[in-house]
Amino acid sequence: MDSTQKISHLALDIGGTLIKLVYFSANGDYSEESRNGCSVVHGKLCFAKFETRKIDDCLEFIRFNILHHSGVQHPNGEALDKLYVKATGGGAFKFADLFKEKLGILFDKEDEMHSLVGGVNFLLKTVPREAFTYLDGQKEFVKIDHNDLYPYLLVNIGSGVSMIKVDGDGKYERISGTSLGGGTFLGLGKLLTKCKSFDELLELSHHGNNRVIDMLVGDIYGGTDYSKIGLSSTAIASSFGKAISDGKELEDYQPEDVARSLLRMISNNIGQIAYLNALRFGLKRIFFGGFFIRGLEYTMDTISVAVHFWSRGEAKAMFLRHEGFLGALGAFTSYNNQSHNDLKPHHHTVQRAILNCSGDNLRHIPVTSNLNDSETIECSINLV
Amino acid sequence: MAGQEDEHDPILDDKKEAEAKSEVCVGGGERDMAPSTSGTSIHRSGSRPQLDLSKAEIQGNLEERDPTILLPNQSDDISHLALDIGGSLIKLLYFSRHEDYSNDGDKRKRTIKERLGITNGNLRSYPVLGGRLHFVKFETHKINECLDFIHSKQLHRRDPYPWSSKTLPLGTGVIKVTGGGAYKFADLFKERLGVSIEKEDEMHCLVSGANFLLKAIRHEAFTHMEGEKEFVQIDPNDLYPYLLVNVGSGVSIIKVDGEGKFERVSGTNVGGGTYWGLGRLLTKCKSFDELLELSQKGDNSAIDMLVGDIYGGMDYSKIGLSASTIASSFGKAISENKELDDYRPEDISLSLLRMISYNIGQISYLNALRFGLKRIFFGGFFIRGHAYTMDTISFAVHFWSKGEMQAMFLRHEGFLGALGAFMSYEKHGLDDLMSHQLVERFPMGAPYTGGNIHGPPLGDLNEKISWMEKFVRRGTEITAPVPMTPSKTTGLGGFEVPSSRGSALRSDASALNVGVLHFVPTLEVFPLLADPKTYEPNTIDLSDQGEREYWLKVLSEHLPDLVDTAVASEGGTEDAKRRGDAFARAFSAHLARLMEEPAAYGKLGLANLLELREECLREFQFVDAYRSIKQRENEASLAVLPDLLEELDSMSEEARLLTLIEGVLAANIFDWGSRACVDLYHKGTIIEIYRMSRNKMQRPWRVDDFDAFKERMLGSGGKQPHRHKRALLFVDNSGADVILGMLPLAREFLRRGTEVVLVANSLPALNDVTAMELPDIVAGAAKHCDILRRAAEMGGLLVDAMVNPGDGSKKDSTSAPLMVVENGCGSPCIDLRQVSSELAAAAKDADLVVLEGMGRALHTNFNAQFKCEALKLAMVKNQRLAEKLIKGNIYDCVCRYEPPSL
Repeated sequence: MDSTQKISHLALDIGGTLIKLVYFSANGDYSEESRNGCSVVHGKLCFAKFETRKIDDCLEFIRFNILHHSGVQHPNGEALDKLYVKATGGGAFKFADLFKEKLGILFDKEDEMHSLVGGVNFLLKTVPREAFTYLDGQKEFVKIDHNDLYPYLLVNIGSGVSMIKVDGDGKYERISGTSLGGGTFLGLGKLLTKCKSFDELLELSHHGNNRVIDMLVGDIYGGTDYSKIGLSSTAIASSFGKAISDGKELEDYQPEDVARSLLRMISNNIGQIAYLNALRFGLKRIFFGGFFIRGLEYTMDTISVAVHFWSRGEAKAMFLRHEGFLGALGAFTSYNNQSHNDLKPHHHTVQRAILNCSGDNLRHIPVTSNLNDSETIECSINLV
Repeated sequence: MAGQEDEHDPILDDKKEAEAKSEVCVGGGERDMAPSTSGTSIHRSGSRPQLDLSKAEIQGNLEERDPTILLPNQSDDISHLALDIGGSLIKLLYFSRHEDYSNDGDKRKRTIKERLGITNGNLRSYPVLGGRLHFVKFETHKINECLDFIHSKQLHRRDPYPWSSKTLPLGTGVIKVTGGGAYKFADLFKERLGVSIEKEDEMHCLVSGANFLLKAIRHEAFTHMEGEKEFVQIDPNDLYPYLLVNVGSGVSIIKVDGEGKFERVSGTNVGGGTYWGLGRLLTKCKSFDELLELSQKGDNSAIDMLVGDIYGGMDYSKIGLSASTIASSFGKAISENKELDDYRPEDISLSLLRMISYNIGQISYLNALRFGLKRIFFGGFFIRGHAYTMDTISFAVHFWSKGEMQAMFLRHEGFLGALGAFMSYEKHGLDDLMSHQLVERFPMGAPYTGGNIHGPPLGDLNEKISWMEKFVRRGTEITAPVPMTPSKTTGLGGFEVPSSRGSALRSDASALNVGVLHFVPTLEVFPLLADPKTYEPNTIDLSDQGEREYWLKVLSEHLPDLVDTAVASEGGTEDAKRRGDAFARAFSAHLARLMEEPAAYGKLGLANLLELREECLREFQFVDAYRSIKQRENEASLAVLPDLLEELDSMSEEARLLTLIEGVLAANIFDWGSRACVDLYHKGTIIEIYRMSRNKMQRPWRVDDFDAFKERMLGSGGKQPHRHKRALLFVDNSGADVILGMLPLAREFLRRGTEVVLVANSLPALNDVTAMELPDIVAGAAKHCDILRRAAEMGGLLVDAMVNPGDGSKKDSTSAPLMVVENGCGSPCIDLRQVSSELAAAAKDADLVVLEGMGRALHTNFNAQFKCEALKLAMVKNQRLAEKLIKGNIYDCVCRYEPPSL
């Protein structure tokens, strides 16, 4: 990291599996111009993530790369050692003491769901080419009309899955969810394949063939479709259903095939439940996010196919390029909200930066290659 | 058919012969090969040997009243069968005909039928016969057991019409089969049994099976919340639309709109196969049941990530998630450095079970919501009556629907497909079946194995007894659950009760027991019920634990006396003792089973319990345990009847009416079903007790509507009331009860010109008088009384004694008739939803119903409302019931008179 960059802002989303960080990194020169009595800082929103079980790495990262650069102070003017940082996710509660002890950071806890929705709304409204569909290997960016954004269904696939109906800024409701999520994929996957990491498991699934272990419609009906009810012979009748009768042990199956079946089972299930919930509220757009997706083509494809299948093409699954950082982004943008409440004219500190969320000041770095988790968003902030 | 056969290649036919021979060796051994019997209509060349079927049927053929699922009976007259061959289980359904015990040749009966205007109201173009539907399960990998079973019962040789007893030649039979195995095993069926398989669409079968069950079987559906089953009565007219969720390897979600009108609206690939498949890989369990069993000892929080794990033990109450809600199934396996071997298989199994059940519940709910359906029925092999699975699914539906929808399960859930396949026979004879025509019986094996079959079919009573004895001998492996009988009863060889915990005899506490469905087309709903839909026969709710335990204990304590009586009734022979012993064991096992799992046999009422006891007695061929006692008491009572009648005739009308009612109540003390009364018997003679009892009659009784009844009978203020046209008198016990109590009351109605129909049991139950016995009793009484004689003649009860009954009735044409009809039951209680067609016909002109005795007026029907006037008379011979029902004491009396209910 460029040592000249000044890191002034940080928000965390501490989930059951991963810790996601969003922080602002200034380009070096603090204020270029002054507008409305505010100085504007150009910089980047940076993204980082750590496995929750390796929280020490995260602490180190924050200590060296973030805190090092800024003697941050809370707007209330309390002592410097009382450093407040926006945090969301279940870990904001669980690890509050740890952060206080190790880094002297106090969590300003943001509601998880609220952060999530805030993050998505922010992305959809400010970052062009954020949403895309993925079907048959074709990624297609979708232009979202800001005036016709709501309502939509947000499906956040973390360890578990939350399904949120979003009706506007700060207007949302968690309408459903499922416990079959990313945690299930990784948890079961680890038990079944001895993979050590999520990425390894995903990689495995790329090379697998689910027909080895899934019971397909054709397996039941002797290779023929059950066309009467619209099931093709390759449709999965029962995930892992072939493991019943084969007389094979776990060791007899290729880990690749197991990972593939698992991925399909979970993706398909999420797609189906999401569709049913969208149907319930007449929502045409479903955005999928959360670390499980990870821009992984096969996952996105399975979810898209499930939504497409169940909705008979009526509903579309859409994905977000920053899907892994929705909560963290939401927490980050919530500094903004708070500032309005706390705004005190004479309280000017360099440290107290407010991200200007009007799209004008925000520019996305176009990417040509694969999506990258650490992809940054170029933006500017107003310093009050 | 024969013509086609003749065209066959002779070589092929030779091959068939060889197969037929080998079958004989495998299947029967003792059965002989014999040339085709010529008496049948089957035209075949004599050169072709055939099994002598008629001979096979006769062999080892003890007359058998109740074939069981467990121990199927060789002597059944079986009509046809249908199968559902799934990946893990084969479900078999077959129909056996009743021998028609109603004897229309009986002159007496015919006279009554004419009198009551009963015609054969059958509108069908083919005859409807009674019979029994049997449900049997086999494991698919043991398909040979299933084939042996079919072969041993010659199920495959039947003409597929219930009324036809014609046997089919080998190679021509067709069996309806559904399920994936229909294709897979088609060749095997052809080879082993010489029958062709006709494959029926699975979904279609499921739906028609479910429709049949929900319409035809009362309390088929139940909810399952927090371990509690609650049976639900579905109004057959308000059944559709509903959602049917079949959880097999995968899950099909079907919206059902009517008979044959359904659509698969959704499904999920995360189903039973996923549970079993993943479970096998993760736990190395060898069977599905083993995996399920494991889950019962599991703790899913060891491996699931709970909301509390994420929020540091706190709820996420803002969105209504409690700390114990699963946030991520198997989510904990992520972050801990544990291997598969570090987790308990129990915990893994439970996590899997919860994950899948919950997911199925959720997706079902979302689909129900989509179509505005309030009822979701879950079935399929994954459910398998497993309490935790049902609980989890119910919880999911309840949670997501915020209590607006109900997950329901079906008692016969495993048999939906097989039932549907059965219904797909062109004329199966079950289409318009009504719930009142079906009676479910639980044979002696039910407490041990539910609907599962273990071991070879048993042919006769002796084998049944040995079977019971064998299990008792193996008692060491089986720990007894709740001692149901006090130690004093061990004089009969011990009542050790097999439990649910042993290995071989384990009956999963939550397993669904499926009885034999007796199809009795002659049963009807009692037409005088004010509202058959809301009618509930049982007064005491046995779903209340305290009540249930009390009554189970009462039955248990009464058992030794009953066994003594039963054994004595058969002359106390060694054989009778052995049967008595086996009966005691079997019935104790029933009681123990019910103690442990009250809903094991469906919705439990006292009426069912008492009937179960009678059925169990009959199963061990105690046809009438109280026969000699009844005879003795009848004789003693008839002897004093003339004195009583004389006494009555000397009274004023008003005094007589009161004395008559007192007499009914007093005589009702003679009840061998009541512990207190059995004790009384040891203390004095019948007449002494009766006199004492009557002298003690002090009005007001605990429930005393006598004045209202008297006003109705005698009028008030000089106004003469209209007489009743016809009174139905439901009689209770033999001896004094009927002879000194009810007959004099009947006589009073008769002398007022009211027709009287005595309604009695079809089959013996305790010392209750039966419809078969009543004519002789009436004849005995008629010797002393002209009123009774003329009325009995009019009613055709004395036909045997009359040279010319037609002339006799002309001479005494002034008398109203006295008739006897059977009620269709063999229990001390009466469920008025299921009575004989005779009784239903007799009820048409009746304007008064008199119910007498504890069983018929208190245990059942105490709260029953009728379209006509009703008089309920009983002495309460049980302290607890007295307290509960009338806030009174033992020997208190009930005289409840009710005007017609609107």
